[in-house]
Amino acid sequence: MPANVNITPFHKVLIANRGEIALRVIRTLKEMNIKSVAIYSEADRSSLHVRMADEAICIGAAPSSMSYLNMDAIVTAAKVTGADAVHPGYGFLSENADFANAVTQAGMTFIGPTAQAIEMLGVKSTAREIAIKAGVPITPGSDGVVGKNYRAIAKKIGFPLMIKATLGGGGKGMRACFREEDLDRMMKTAQGEARANFGDDRVYFEKLILNPRHIEVQVAADNYGNVVAFAERDCSMQRRHQKLVEESPSPFVDAKTRQKLQEAAAQVIKAAHYRGVGTVEFLMAPTKEFYFMEVNTRLQVEHPVTEAVCGQDLVKMQIQIAQGEPLQLTQAEAGKVRCHAIEHRINAEDASHNFMPCPGTLTEWIPAGGLGVRVDSHMYNGYTIPSYYDSLIAKLIVTAPSREKLLKRSERCLQEFIIEGVKTTLPFHQKILANEDFRNGKTDTGLIERMMKADESKK
Amino acid sequence: MDTKLISEVTDWMKTTDLAEFCYEKDGDAIEIKTQEALPEPAEFTCSLTAVTSPAVGIYHMADKGKNLTLTEGQEINEGDPLGLVESVSKKYPIVSPLSGKLRKVTAQEGAVVEFGLPLFFIEK
Repeated sequence: MPANVNITPFHKVLIANRGEIALRVIRTLKEMNIKSVAIYSEADRSSLHVRMADEAICIGAAPSSMSYLNMDAIVTAAKVTGADAVHPGYGFLSENADFANAVTQAGMTFIGPTAQAIEMLGVKSTAREIAIKAGVPITPGSDGVVGKNYRAIAKKIGFPLMIKATLGGGGKGMRACFREEDLDRMMKTAQGEARANFGDDRVYFEKLILNPRHIEVQVAADNYGNVVAFAERDCSMQRRHQKLVEESPSPFVDAKTRQKLQEAAAQVIKAAHYRGVGTVEFLMAPTKEFYFMEVNTRLQVEHPVTEAVCGQDLVKMQIQIAQGEPLQLTQAEAGKVRCHAIEHRINAEDASHNFMPCPGTLTEWIPAGGLGVRVDSHMYNGYTIPSYYDSLIAKLIVTAPSREKLLKRSERCLQEFIIEGVKTTLPFHQKILANEDFRNGKTDTGLIERMMKADESKK
Repeated sequence: MDTKLISEVTDWMKTTDLAEFCYEKDGDAIEIKTQEALPEPAEFTCSLTAVTSPAVGIYHMADKGKNLTLTEGQEINEGDPLGLVESVSKKYPIVSPLSGKLRKVTAQEGAVVEFGLPLFFIEK
């Protein structure tokens, strides 16, 4: 243990969030004998986190901007209830440097990284610089605007590549170029679009990785420079950058690549002088080469997958780090793969109508159970899902000794799960489990879109 | 059981304003309830308007150095100051939304209030 260890135990923690993640944090606080304070909006009066916390305080009207995004109200609620720390959960203000600052300035601890780290890693260009400094590969690109020598730069990066407008967004001024002979033409089109849409024809290049996988590494770092990295999560099953299924370990990653991933993630975290739990996201090519994408400076929705695989309580670890405790586990313990785990995000959405949100009242709620099953949810019979917030209603986390047994158990759980009164993504998850590519571990970030297109053509 | 009799009685009841009809044969018991006898839904009107806290924070009757006394029973005009709620970085003034009589003061100087907590009740 380092000589300068400084531990300040918390007595009361305010959870600046709602829904299942608020419950998740309250559960760990209870086990740690720390009092919990729930905050809620007028629409969440009958929400479970309000009932489960030791104290609850109404902070504003239903819209998030007036409640869960209202920094002044949340910091005030923490002060008047006598909390000594604030847990931000995920979403809302969890990656807002100003909020972390406001909590600290009010004399409390923000359970997460420093405001400085949030800010640094939140900006794409500085995050890339940190990765370069740490010696971690990033998607090769022009690193800035390309000028007249664009042909030479493109050749150096290699094809296929993406031409992107500096001020771009929403796919405008963006062109994929697959062959060198198309470069001049694509360059003209992209620049023309950029000029027309943004009044600025500057563009840059980025290597285009075809059929990539989204692979991410959970990390934990304490105040004393200790960093551990856990087994990777495969989050390739996503639709419009929204993850639907997360799995660990990835069926595509072998032991050698796993070690490389963990080393790369730890290097980025060390270079950023990061503390707390976080996630380093990579894009992995079919060749198993991987490139740094970004760092998520918060606890993630899919953290239970890693909890199952490593057997650790990540929220507890997060709180202990914030209290100033040194990490209690070694890299060998953290990196151990004890089982296979998968998470299905059950949303109140209609998958057959473009995943349209379906708020409403639950007339029946019978979650799956049994060996190797965890359901993190804030639902109960008769609960009315408000329309103001996101549509995640439950996380079904399944574990098994092998991937084959895992898929079988997942199938069983999805059949067993009964939710009536609102449309949910349960049937879509059954489709994913029936998909041959998914079963064979041949996933990439485009698989769900391909599944949906195949469904569409059958109609 | 004579189902024919039941349907006859039911049809007949439809032509009346009877709500309930009990019948016993040998004990000669008949019990009839008319529509009027059914309990009416309770009607509830409240002439009080609640003035609620606009934010989470500490309630103060007035800014430091200023005095404001609010007494139950006093007349209040729309727009009259009713104190303020102080958060870590802001002050939220409270003004009366209507004119009337201040019937109930639940607000207490220096107390913690949450958003939406009733502080005053005003009768029009």
